[in-house]
Amino acid sequence: MQLVLSWPIRLFVIAVLIISLLVDGAGYVYRIANKLPLQGNVAGLPPNFGGLQLYFHKGLDLAGGTHIDYQLTNFPAGQNRAEVQQRTIQVINKRVNALNVSEPEIRGAGTNNDRITVDLAGVNAEQAQKAIGAVSKLVYTKWVKDDKVTGGPEPGFKPALTGLTGDDISSASAAIDPTGTSWVVNISFTASGAQRFDDLTRANVAACPGDSTTVASANCAERHLTIWLDLTQTDIDHWEDSSYAAKVSSSYDPGCLAAQTPDTICGKFLTDPITREEIAGGQAQISGAFTQTSANDLATGINSGSLPVDLQVLDVTQVSATLGAQSVKLSIAAGLLGLAIVVVFMIIYYRVPGLLASLALLFYAGAVLAVFKLVPVTLTLAGITGFVLSVGMAVDANVLIFERFKEEVRAGRTISAAVDAAVRRAWPAIRDSNTSTIITCVILGFVGPSAVKGFAITLAIGVFASLVSSIIVTHNLLAIVLAGSGFRRAGLLGVDRVRTV
Amino acid sequence: MSELSDVKAEEQTAEEQVADLAEDAKAQQAAVVAAPEPRPPRRLNIIGRRNWFFALSLIIIIPGIVSMATKHFALGIDFAGGTELTASFPNHPTLAAVQQAVDAEGSNGSVISTGGDGYIIRYPALNTTQLANVQSDLRKRLGPTNVQQILTVGGTIAGETIFLSLLAVVLASVAILLLLAIRFRNVPGGWRAGFQFGGSALAALLHDVFILTGIFSILGAFFGLRIGQIDAFFVTAVLTVVGFSVHDTIVVFDRLRENLRVSQRLSFEQVVNLSIMQTAARSIITSFTVVLVLTAILIAGGSTLQGLALALLIGIVSGTYSSIFNAAPLLVVWRKLQPLR
Repeated sequence: MQLVLSWPIRLFVIAVLIISLLVDGAGYVYRIANKLPLQGNVAGLPPNFGGLQLYFHKGLDLAGGTHIDYQLTNFPAGQNRAEVQQRTIQVINKRVNALNVSEPEIRGAGTNNDRITVDLAGVNAEQAQKAIGAVSKLVYTKWVKDDKVTGGPEPGFKPALTGLTGDDISSASAAIDPTGTSWVVNISFTASGAQRFDDLTRANVAACPGDSTTVASANCAERHLTIWLDLTQTDIDHWEDSSYAAKVSSSYDPGCLAAQTPDTICGKFLTDPITREEIAGGQAQISGAFTQTSANDLATGINSGSLPVDLQVLDVTQVSATLGAQSVKLSIAAGLLGLAIVVVFMIIYYRVPGLLASLALLFYAGAVLAVFKLVPVTLTLAGITGFVLSVGMAVDANVLIFERFKEEVRAGRTISAAVDAAVRRAWPAIRDSNTSTIITCVILGFVGPSAVKGFAITLAIGVFASLVSSIIVTHNLLAIVLAGSGFRRAGLLGVDRVRTV
Repeated sequence: MSELSDVKAEEQTAEEQVADLAEDAKAQQAAVVAAPEPRPPRRLNIIGRRNWFFALSLIIIIPGIVSMATKHFALGIDFAGGTELTASFPNHPTLAAVQQAVDAEGSNGSVISTGGDGYIIRYPALNTTQLANVQSDLRKRLGPTNVQQILTVGGTIAGETIFLSLLAVVLASVAILLLLAIRFRNVPGGWRAGFQFGGSALAALLHDVFILTGIFSILGAFFGLRIGQIDAFFVTAVLTVVGFSVHDTIVVFDRLRENLRVSQRLSFEQVVNLSIMQTAARSIITSFTVVLVLTAILIAGGSTLQGLALALLIGIVSGTYSSIFNAAPLLVVWRKLQPLR
């Protein structure tokens, strides 16, 4: 117990308090440090200190948005399930990018890598499902001469469908080429696709033979095989309209493709590589000035025509932003109301110790909120309830100590001896009773349905912080304040009489 | 009061004895010098009236069990599966008008009013297209529609949620039993006494679970109130209540164990009653603060959280009651039926 009252511990508590306040008020610290107005929107918020985003991460029920759980079915045979899941996540990521969602969260789940969870803030379920479920068809074209064409990747030529499509591709992936110096994209074709690709590449090379890297005449448009998403014969028929061709030839736009109507013109272009040689065997490689990112983008783009698996919707939650904002307001109100009631009650019932416990409670609330920002804990309605409930529970340890304190004073101890004895004797009960809550939280956190995990996490953090707050903070405050004689009056301590000797 | 008087006299000596055996010798002296006549705290003979308290519990539990057996529960969307659409209609349609519009859709929807313009419409699970059709249909029939929330839960997830919830309850119960066994293995009287302690605490815990689930069965299935629907949050509440109830019981039993060591002259019943009295203030005050917080959530917390807050409220009141009026009295009954030697 002497350890708890020692200065290192006190300094530690003070340090925690200061850090908590800085984290809690990070937005204001940033505004003041940069001489920005304290109200209204300013640039650079939320502040980013060394990678720490110091703001409350709101769950979808508070921010508004859509949550979807997908079941993955029809895994391609013979491929690593975790990789397939990862590839699917990349494709979904690409597709939802078009929705302009801030911080979309797409996570793998499921014991067998067979689930994907998608959280999109500020998007309704219909938009989300349309974008994610969109099926774009990957098509290969060759180029045929058309003098009236002035736009597009190959002026003077228009594309022609080859019959080779995404159905003929089994996978595409970014990789480092064998020399280890540059990024390439590897494509594997299915058996029938391999045959068709072989024929096409042979025709390419035959159009203008030679080494395409050194011989200028070997670099003709007919030697290119171009990859598009959703390119149709109608698009090709409009190729002589240069503005139309330019639009279609711009980089593919998944959002536009997902929402396209017969009248919209979307970017559909993926890549236009030259064929160096005939490729038999169904393993092709696209090289160029790729970075890791651009190679990955292209691979995802090629894959995005068709997801490697089928997606089946398991559940959908859509919360409107207004409802979310309302929930935030209500839970803040409930939290403040709860805190206020507890503080008033403690002060009336326990007087000076109650006041000190209330201060400890404020310390507790500040520290827990800082932890929520730092970890970061994604706050949901249930999570906030867990926190508010833990405020009520945090009082428990203080009550145990104070009741014991009154008993010890009644038994005739001096104030400081009574404080010491009260904390020491209340400790086993505090420890044991909180153990049961922690056990419950751990179990809920591991096996509970996902909706209640947030509750378990915040409650557990709250219970831990309440232990520190009651055992260390309240105890120290009691010892410091009651060291002076000014407060040693029965009326202030809520006891019948005080031993003055 | 006269019937209580001799218990009171005896207990005061017990308290002196407790103080006698306390480690702090200085305090002992002080007790003689500065506190010659400490005012005796008010005492109730809880053990003597235990049958009344058991009866009070049964009055609530039995209807609950009957309701659970005959009516079962009203399942929330995450257990039952389906689609639930929460919306408000600025054109102020009546409940009947909304129900009529929903019936006309032919999607088997049912409507609940949430007060004001707000309604909740529950359908069997709808897919994206069906959902879009239903929404545009509502817009056509009832005018502008502010969709606040849409939940769709498929059968797989609903089944999984039920399984996980049950698993959590079973695991938590086992873990808490183990905790109790470890905590009370060194009670005077050996393993048999320890078993009695653990068993009584478990009985009090089951009491709380039955009260809570029974009341929710009555509210949800018997009266058909939405707040009585059970969902994943209800399971959370049950588990929190289990933890909290064990909380309170452990505090009483801890004190009882401490007192059993130091007071040889009192009967078991008297020591139990003394221990209850010494800890009751703490139990009631703690629960009271939590009840205040929960009431705040219940009033200010919006409809999503009200079910959770109500369940916690019922459970925590019940948990405090059972730790004071059931757990230790049960222990006394058990000790009578199965004496240590």
